[in-house]
Amino acid sequence: MPVEDHKEAGVLFEDRLGEALRHAGGGFETDRSALAAAGAVRGRRLLLRRRAAVAGGVAAVALVGVGGTLLVPWSGDEGGQSVASGQRVTPPRPAEDDGEVSGADLVRTLKKLLPKGKFSEEQGRGTGESGRDGLGMPYAQVVYDDGKGAAAVGVSLNRIEPGSEQAREWTRCPDKRLVSYDACTASTLPDGSDLLLFQGYEYPDRRVDTKHWYASLVTPQGHHITVNEWNAEAEKDAPVTRDEPPLSTVELTKVVSATAWRTAVDAIPESPGHSVAPKPSATTSAPPAADAASVGTTLASLLPENLKVTAKGGQEPEYAYVVVNDGKGESMVQINVQSNMGEALSGHMAGAEKLPDGTLVLTQEAADEKGRAGVVVRTVDVLRPNGDRVVIMASNAAGLQGGATRKAPALTIAQLKRIATSEKWQEAR
Amino acid sequence: MRQTRADDYAEFAAARAGHLYRSACLLTAGDTHLAEDLVQETLGRLYVSWRRVSRVGNPAGYAQTVLTRVFLTHQRRRSSTERATDVLPDLPDPRTADADTPLRLTLVEALGRLPAKDRAVVVLRYWEDRSIEETAEAMNASSAAVRTRCVRALAQLRVLLGDALSEHAAP
Repeated sequence: MPVEDHKEAGVLFEDRLGEALRHAGGGFETDRSALAAAGAVRGRRLLLRRRAAVAGGVAAVALVGVGGTLLVPWSGDEGGQSVASGQRVTPPRPAEDDGEVSGADLVRTLKKLLPKGKFSEEQGRGTGESGRDGLGMPYAQVVYDDGKGAAAVGVSLNRIEPGSEQAREWTRCPDKRLVSYDACTASTLPDGSDLLLFQGYEYPDRRVDTKHWYASLVTPQGHHITVNEWNAEAEKDAPVTRDEPPLSTVELTKVVSATAWRTAVDAIPESPGHSVAPKPSATTSAPPAADAASVGTTLASLLPENLKVTAKGGQEPEYAYVVVNDGKGESMVQINVQSNMGEALSGHMAGAEKLPDGTLVLTQEAADEKGRAGVVVRTVDVLRPNGDRVVIMASNAAGLQGGATRKAPALTIAQLKRIATSEKWQEAR
Repeated sequence: MRQTRADDYAEFAAARAGHLYRSACLLTAGDTHLAEDLVQETLGRLYVSWRRVSRVGNPAGYAQTVLTRVFLTHQRRRSSTERATDVLPDLPDPRTADADTPLRLTLVEALGRLPAKDRAVVVLRYWEDRSIEETAEAMNASSAAVRTRCVRALAQLRVLLGDALSEHAAP
């Protein structure tokens, strides 16, 4: 019966489609723990900055996340709402009465601090709303045109615990081996404030050429001020309007250092229930299994003797890298050391070799996941029965950006396996 | 976030990141950069509302819904300048791919030729095994619209995939 046949064929096709999708989907692998950690980092940033950063379309400062991924908090046309909440938040217009220092005040201050030019699309939020749940931090943003092309320029304000890891994160240059950018300087001003001047890109892999420059200032009293600028009228999805963002680093420094911003941060109401800048201890999701320094030292101590270490780094807990050279070119070796990963990796270790003590070892050699031509990555993933995990990756490139520097990674799978299964990782915890 | 809740979140994120990433790769038709970005955004949003999310019965399903909406939002933003077929999938290097890879290329390529919303329907229905109603809810759409999209997408996939599925995926 043709109708029945057709129906049956339809059902069969749907069954097969489901199976094929599972097959295809299962072929996409990533470092899920790094992805999870990067998500948490973004969440913390969102929590601290999303209302100012997202609702107004101001980008928060880019920062280095786990594994060297440059994380740029999302800005969407959803107006900063939680997707799940189903409530749209209208992008706020600068009001005169939304705090001791109003959104309109902040916009006026920003315009006054910028060199002469035309302003449009003014947005802002005052200090009064900031402590309340459901809203965000004070900010001001304008589209500024100095005659050479309109560009988004914004300032966002917050409190931060001086000397905290979080404060350091905002004022430390990302590692150039991990993130590509044109320039970055970190300095301390005469008043003791830490200042970061960053000139990079909206997308670290530069799939879109929008430049993102910013200055981030943390004072000894915990004022945190960030001035962002782009060479486009919005941080994303807007055409580039000029070669570079309008403000030089000198001008950025002048704007970010203005005392008016510190006065505004002081006016943010304290609200114990909805702390604007929670202490790091309250935002850390789990104690790290190891710190970057000890991970890096242990890694270096386990390398074959013919390899010369030409660079090392890693700015996240549990993560470190070294760049080695055996005379044939630089090769980057990255490592992640984690605890309690047993359950999270339950589906990930399929096909792994099982050592006598129950340790699972998964090895892989594959083309670079970012598609860099000729770049090969060798990975050894070791999961101990107690959930401790060591993942080591060696590539034939000198960093996470840039092309191949040699034919193959400087370490073989067997050498990587020896490093990752070393007892030293157990001792280092 | 309190420590216990933070631990719960970390555990959940670590357990679900892989699945969300694979879903995102299908939704983006193989654009792994974008997939990572979408998953980070999804996990970031879940972090922000974790207290509420952790109380719902099915946080994993909730996460998938958030991912779908994040994806559709992203697509909406760029839909004015880009068509679905302009997506350039980040496909694995054929030199290092395994023997089953040709099917994946075909299917991923076919997905890339569907409009974003149709792709979302296919992923939710046949990768996530959701019902029409559940799919409609996740997409903020009517069930009639989902049905229409589903029929259309299946018809298109049949044409695009030809015999590829019966050759490779038959049990």
